[in-house]
Amino acid sequence: MRTNLRVVRALGMRSVRQTFRRPQLMAPILVFPTLLLAIQTGGAGSAVNLPGFPPVQSFLQFMLAGAIMQSLMLAANSGGIALAVDIEMGFTDRLFAAPISRYAVVLGRLAGTAALGAFAALWFLAIGLIFGAEIEGGVAGAVVAVALTVGATVGIGGIGSSVALRTGRASIVQGLFPLVFVILFLSTAFFPEGLMVEPAKTVAQYNPMSFVVEGIREPIIAGLEGSDVLDAVLAIVGIAALSTLLSARALRHRLATGG
Amino acid sequence: MRREDIATIVALIDRSKNDLLRVPGAAIPGVLAPTIFFLGLNGVFGNLTQLTGFTTDSYASFLVPVSVLQGAGFTGAAAGVNLARDIEAGWLDRLLVSPAPRWALLTGTVLAASLRAFIPATFVLAVAFLIGAHWPGVGGILIAYAIVAATAAVAACYAATLALHYKTQSASPLMQAGVLALILATTAYAPLELLQGWLQEVARFNPMTQVVEGARQGFLGTISWEETWPAIVALAGMLSVLGALSLRAMRRTAL
Amino acid sequence: MKAIVVEGLERAFGDVLAVRGVDLSVDEGEIYGFLGPNGAGKTTTVRMLTTLLLPTGGRASVAGYDVVGEAHAVRASIGVALQEAALDPLMTGRELIRLQATLHGLPAAEGRRRADELLERVDLVEAADRRVGTYSGGMQRRLDLAASLVHRPRVLFLDEPTTGLDPVSRKTIWEEVRELNEDGTTVFLTTQYLEEADQLADNVGIIDSGAIVAEATPDALKAEIGNPHIELQLEEGSIADAEAVCTGIGKLMPPKDGRTVLLEVERGAGDIPRVVRALDEAGIEVASLELVKPTLDDVFVAKTGYHLEKQDPTASSAPVDDG
Repeated sequence: MRTNLRVVRALGMRSVRQTFRRPQLMAPILVFPTLLLAIQTGGAGSAVNLPGFPPVQSFLQFMLAGAIMQSLMLAANSGGIALAVDIEMGFTDRLFAAPISRYAVVLGRLAGTAALGAFAALWFLAIGLIFGAEIEGGVAGAVVAVALTVGATVGIGGIGSSVALRTGRASIVQGLFPLVFVILFLSTAFFPEGLMVEPAKTVAQYNPMSFVVEGIREPIIAGLEGSDVLDAVLAIVGIAALSTLLSARALRHRLATGG
Repeated sequence: MRREDIATIVALIDRSKNDLLRVPGAAIPGVLAPTIFFLGLNGVFGNLTQLTGFTTDSYASFLVPVSVLQGAGFTGAAAGVNLARDIEAGWLDRLLVSPAPRWALLTGTVLAASLRAFIPATFVLAVAFLIGAHWPGVGGILIAYAIVAATAAVAACYAATLALHYKTQSASPLMQAGVLALILATTAYAPLELLQGWLQEVARFNPMTQVVEGARQGFLGTISWEETWPAIVALAGMLSVLGALSLRAMRRTAL
Repeated sequence: MKAIVVEGLERAFGDVLAVRGVDLSVDEGEIYGFLGPNGAGKTTTVRMLTTLLLPTGGRASVAGYDVVGEAHAVRASIGVALQEAALDPLMTGRELIRLQATLHGLPAAEGRRRADELLERVDLVEAADRRVGTYSGGMQRRLDLAASLVHRPRVLFLDEPTTGLDPVSRKTIWEEVRELNEDGTTVFLTTQYLEEADQLADNVGIIDSGAIVAEATPDALKAEIGNPHIELQLEEGSIADAEAVCTGIGKLMPPKDGRTVLLEVERGAGDIPRVVRALDEAGIEVASLELVKPTLDDVFVAKTGYHLEKQDPTASSAPVDDG
């Protein structure tokens, strides 16, 4: 058990270092969401004057959760790509051959992804504070937002990992990249559901990512009321359950067939 | 311009098309990205047209020129990324040890990007008309395509400058982010008077705003010389500055 | 007429002087072997001579043109095949040569004709319309060589043309280089293989740590090192006896193992009969006898203090059977 924890920690550190050392990996996770946040806040900021827009201090305050969501989904995707690259290079074979739990290998990668998710959440909360957006839920609210982000990163990252384990090909996981944006645009990440346009509006109503993003958003724009946070926790549990199932099956398949 | 120089440019354009035609699925990301953004932003921000200040109630019509330019910008940035790949692989050396003039080598890369930009532009336009964007008239379409070609060239010059300076694909995010910022820090999402704070100031002075407005005119109403010439001036200005910078970077690769 | 003249050529990268005052000259029609280990400054020198890199000191001219001031004229006169064979894996061999022809300003029809000729010449006719990505290492080098010849350059630069190739592919490239040279092309060849320089080059320059440490014909360089020696392996009998017999014929060298006698001889092959006769008379049976001439590796060791490569095929040794 202790060995496995150490493995998870070591692999997690490795994946964080990998990301921070390479601008190509870091840019999609932080730079692009930040750029889009800045531009969408300035470009669509007058939307807060639309009748039916929820009460917010500013559009930036509203958008922080969307930027965090975008960042965590991209981090999850990058984690999957990195795992697939490890498989392609034979790095995972070396680990699978070692006397450690195979799940520790996957969890190590996810731990790194989760750390990146936490970093992204703090990054955007800091940006919000610097540019005048208050976090209504205070420190406790920020902690809740970060915790939900970490949970969602692990859950969604698990789906990315399962694709990596199943296919063992980085290009296929990379191909999910556009899907991240499709899912984001079909959620309430960037706009209140009531003001979205059909058919995106209806999809967003049922998209689990909408529940996650609203859970991250509530402590920022309203405070710790709880209802949206609870929905988000349920959504994350559901996503995590699905990704655990998919990853376990993919891992068994990989070990059974040798790739 | 000599016959040999034109032949060199044509040959380089010819080679560039291999990247699309000989790699399965290579054209997809360049087409998919602006299309997803177009459909996504339309679904998300579509109701912005209810705000006073919008002169149209079709956000798709308002947005499509931006998405088309975004596709052109990405194509231009991709030309820079490919150039960085060619530098890493040593391919550029093959071109540089030949007596072909440096400007011709650069022009081949840049023009190839201009032509390739027609692919995402055409696809995004088709999708836009399908979901009900206004038909801008033949004049409006021609203006849009001309602006697409020139914008891709501007982006390619910018990205090539970075590629020649840094000589590594690690500089790719800088190429893409720069182009994205240039195109979106304009009246991309809303008219100037509705933009907030810093973006309003930036958009007011960003030459790309004139380009977006020039491409947009046909989709929102009728085309006019008054809205066309500022776009031409802006594009000519950006092309000369960035073209000169990239040519300088090409000549300084031996430093 | 000199094809290449280099005087005090220097190149610094920041504080590091990669090339520190190289002088050399190459006659027209010559094959010049530029020999040195990895990181000695070979590639940096070639990049300066081919106008890809500006010198930070000294001067150089190629085909009579200054590499800085008349870079364009230099480029028109030279053919270049660089070490990292920069080939586009998505192009076909034929397309690559035609592109190269276009870059050199050849009209399309002539480009097509040259492509056909050159593909024939380097034996790539069958692979001509396949993508370069499917070529073997040797095929890629041959294609690169063909592409560099498209405009009939006066001076050809080959940067480690056979590094990493198998012996057969290596020989093919060597034959091609010799033929080109016979047609009058000056060849500037960098290599880390002593055998390659020995086989091909009329003159050899040895570069180490950014400076030339020796320059002459391969034979002159080897002669500088000293006389050839005879290497005797005994079937049976004592080394001491054999050494006693040989001692009058040449100068004994320290033996390398218990069964071998090393004898430095002044006349080379001419001394062999005397050695064989003397051993025969003394009744000493010989397993093998070899005349070993100094190699460029010996030169290299003498000039730099270390070996250039681990296993240098002893190309210049002449085995003689005892019979």
